[in-house]
Amino acid sequence: MDESGIPEGDFEASGFDGDLLEEELRQAATVLDPVPAALLQLALDAYALHDLDARIAELTFDSLVDALPVRGVPDAPRMLTFRAGAVTVDVEVTGEGLIGQVLPPQSARIEVLGGPQTARPVTVDTLGRFTSDTPPAGPFALRLRAGGEVIVTEWLRA
Amino acid sequence: MRAGILRSTAYDDVPYTRGGAVDRTEVGALARSAVDGDAAAWKALVEGLSPLVWSVVRAHRLSDADAHEVYQTVWFRFAQHLGRLREPDKAGSWLASTARHECLKVLKGLTRLTLTDDPQVLDRASEDRTPEQTLIDSEEEAVEAERIRRLWQEFEALGDRCRKLLRVLMSSPPPSYLEVSAALGIAVGSIGPLRQRCLRRLRARMDARGAV
Repeated sequence: MDESGIPEGDFEASGFDGDLLEEELRQAATVLDPVPAALLQLALDAYALHDLDARIAELTFDSLVDALPVRGVPDAPRMLTFRAGAVTVDVEVTGEGLIGQVLPPQSARIEVLGGPQTARPVTVDTLGRFTSDTPPAGPFALRLRAGGEVIVTEWLRA
Repeated sequence: MRAGILRSTAYDDVPYTRGGAVDRTEVGALARSAVDGDAAAWKALVEGLSPLVWSVVRAHRLSDADAHEVYQTVWFRFAQHLGRLREPDKAGSWLASTARHECLKVLKGLTRLTLTDDPQVLDRASEDRTPEQTLIDSEEEAVEAERIRRLWQEFEALGDRCRKLLRVLMSSPPPSYLEVSAALGIAVGSIGPLRQRCLRRLRARMDARGAV
């Protein structure tokens, strides 16, 4: 079948076999640009991140997408808002680390996840304000334990 | 390697068939098993769909560092949402779509110009001798390797649209058109004609080069 509208006869007369060429490309990609082994392993390890008991706090605001760019401020902090039901988490990511706030204000235990095996606790005050002086290197998520439940923010690239 | 069990012979969502697609009912069953704690099912999902995620990331021409981070983000988020997927059968499309959106975010947030002038990406095929290539000793295989290298060079030299589409189509096993649509944000119906045109263009480049 030729979906491009070119008459079938011309297509065959040219001896062109798109499927064959695509298959050759597939071979080429397998040899020249395969999934790096370390990445494949990380994806396998990511199984540990699946947690049916935790609620997911979905990203509802990302300054990278939702805010107008501020001219002349190349290093404007990344502002993120996550929401799970009535709980909101505001986070600001800068070159120096993280600053954030759980709303409504409440005490919580918060960890920054950096992958399947990395969890780093951050300091939280009684009003749910938190800081971390380590900027996330790569994908990260926040795990909150508050009010008897566990909430994890959607994984995001810092 | 369990990816073999993901293979099937036909698409039912597009009027176009070819062998080796990821069977979406199979994917759905694997996703459900993984939710129930079957680590082997997760492994099969990762092995069967990783090349698709990688292809989407590559199609968007990110720097190596950005590509690695997007790939990880996509899989971490997939693991996180595993038990909550509305349509587990369409996990491939979910992954492709998530990868696309993360790529677009990276491109939007880029303040540094690492986009197309990452020499490692552009020169990969022409300069680097990959481990695979160094292993090749027989002359016949060397000829084949050279042919693949040329094909890759001509592919890389295609226009942005064709290069993007073909990079996604060439993932292994072949993606469904729904997945390609999710990966590139283009209508399913336009994929077939565009694919045909791009492959012909690539063939013409190869012919012009005398590398038939």
